[in-house]
Amino acid sequence: MNEPALETRIFAILSNLSAVPAADIRRADRLREDLGMDSVASMELISMLSEEFAIDVELEEAARIVDVEGLLTLAERRIGDG
Amino acid sequence: MPGDGVLVLGAAGFLGQHVVDALRAEGVEPRCGRRARGNVLGLRARRATMVVADLDEPATLDAAMAGCGTVVHVAGHYPRLSTDRDATLARGLRQTDAVVRAARAAGVRRLVYVSSTATVRPVPGRPSAEADRYPAPPGVGVYHDLKWAMEARLDGVADLDVRVALPSGCVGPGDLRFGTAGMLLALARGDDPPHPDGTVSLVDPRDAAVGIARLARVDDAPRRLVLSAVDARLHALLVRLADRYGVAPPRPPLDPEAAVALADRAEAEVAGTPRRPAMSREIVDLALHSAAVDGTLATRALGVRYRPFAETLDDFDAWARRLGALPPSPPEARP
Repeated sequence: MNEPALETRIFAILSNLSAVPAADIRRADRLREDLGMDSVASMELISMLSEEFAIDVELEEAARIVDVEGLLTLAERRIGDG
Repeated sequence: MPGDGVLVLGAAGFLGQHVVDALRAEGVEPRCGRRARGNVLGLRARRATMVVADLDEPATLDAAMAGCGTVVHVAGHYPRLSTDRDATLARGLRQTDAVVRAARAAGVRRLVYVSSTATVRPVPGRPSAEADRYPAPPGVGVYHDLKWAMEARLDGVADLDVRVALPSGCVGPGDLRFGTAGMLLALARGDDPPHPDGTVSLVDPRDAAVGIARLARVDDAPRRLVLSAVDARLHALLVRLADRYGVAPPRPPLDPEAAVALADRAEAEVAGTPRRPAMSREIVDLALHSAAVDGTLATRALGVRYRPFAETLDDFDAWARRLGALPPSPPEARP
């Protein structure tokens, strides 16, 4: 999968959960401070990601993700591993 | 056609995941009901068989229950706020009715419904037990009335083998929302949470889950079962925990009226947002209107063993530290 396609799909999930338009989301955005997502919503986001891309994510790993960059890095790495 | 399958409604939740584990320990591989959207990382990690079963989408329940002889209902409405009694009760009862309707249609024989010790009536002079029921809605808050109403609704269901599990406050590993454990976590972080005083009853969710799984499996089981390990006065418990976590002792407890007013203000502040209140009215009501409960029938009838509370706390701490919810250093003192 090429990176822009991956980013587009992840931004769509982010937009769905945060109600921030996908076009307004930046890689540097923080999930809580910039996108208004609390820890529960963040976990839900990563769960959706794990289902969308059929990747396994440990809870501890999910809890450490605080921004969009971290989310993209996780997805890129895991999909690459798969 | 009815079958032998077991469906867990609310399997992705805190207690639900432990129920899945407990059923597996009993030799049952359950079908795990989930919402279409939600955190299922725990179920995925368990390699669980998932099916969409949303109580607000009754059609999903029919497909989820097909072939099941037993339904374990751990998805009873748990309101985030206590601000709208009528709407909360209406939703809880609508969901309860949806579960019963789908269960009948699917030929389910046994329904294990997970409620709360909020429906166990305090009795002077002794711990309350399964037979101590409120004859009418408790009237102390929305949460109590909701739990009473949903259980009362199931009293009228004679064609299903309905069993009601009554866990007390669940504290242990796996609580991503830090519900009952929220005050504990705030204390451990040094936040000195405002609190009322009163009796709180607690149980490790892993032990409660064993009782729930056995209610699902054992034919000769009680119809109503309290699952609770320990009773404590809330303030005294927080003092002990402050020592455990090496933080300053908590401030004195609020008087009841001040605690209710503070919780109501906190809930009003987050109304209309997805945020959780800094202090929930449900927790205040539980502390102010509960008494000690007797969880020993679960041990006598179903062999449920309650682990020591210190073991629960150790496991909770380790789990919360792995998630970064507590600082990484271990506590220096343990009561």
